[in-house]
Amino acid sequence: MPDTRRVYETTFIVSASLDDHQIDGVIEKVRDLITKNGGEIRELVKWGRKRFSYTIKKKNNGFYVVIEFMAPGDLIAKLERHYFLDESILRYITLVLDKRALKARTAAALLAAEQPAAEAKTDEAAKAAAPAPSPATQSPATTTP
Amino acid sequence: MPFQRNSRNTRNTPGRPGQRGERSQRGAAGQVRKKRTCRFCDNKEDFIDYKAEKKLQRFVSEQGRIIPKRITGTCAKHQRMLVVAIKRARHLALLPFVSDAVK
Repeated sequence: MPDTRRVYETTFIVSASLDDHQIDGVIEKVRDLITKNGGEIRELVKWGRKRFSYTIKKKNNGFYVVIEFMAPGDLIAKLERHYFLDESILRYITLVLDKRALKARTAAALLAAEQPAAEAKTDEAAKAAAPAPSPATQSPATTTP
Repeated sequence: MPFQRNSRNTRNTPGRPGQRGERSQRGAAGQVRKKRTCRFCDNKEDFIDYKAEKKLQRFVSEQGRIIPKRITGTCAKHQRMLVVAIKRARHLALLPFVSDAVK
């Protein structure tokens, strides 16, 4: 199946004055928007609360979230519109990941997976290096936990 | 790689052509000369992540300004990528636009 979807990365900041439950709600809304419109989430990292280098909307810290996902091009405009409208999202930035960025990602992911992994896993990771699927997808097939 | 004054490969050496060998004698206004090779070229790093603010901080002055490549020794290509990354980081408040030393 030819995949015309591109890989994007969005980093956004949720207001820290919300409690954890509400923050999760905001993140879920974004997540649903992506998956329900033909996107696929590859990775979602919550950095948690971090201090700002300058005040944004009179606040000094915020909850950072990074999402890496595949999506068709027209979804991006909808997503950004949502970020703009949602008052609890303070900042957002969406990037297309080009070849270089993707190469750096898979290299980093392989490094991170190899270190804590058992020996058998590193063989799997080495084999996976060429077609570059994420090592996370390999793990169910391999050793015992 | 040894420094060759007349070499045509001027891409990764800092400083304007013709001045490279003489800069230390010219008394470059108190700036410390950093390494000659580009840090990113050495590591073969092709993507500079705007999210890694600790790495990026090295390329930003105390006042928060971006340090020119003749000081850091970065090559032109990577300096452009660096600048983009720094500006993105500033947008996300990971790096300041202006910081304390200015006062």
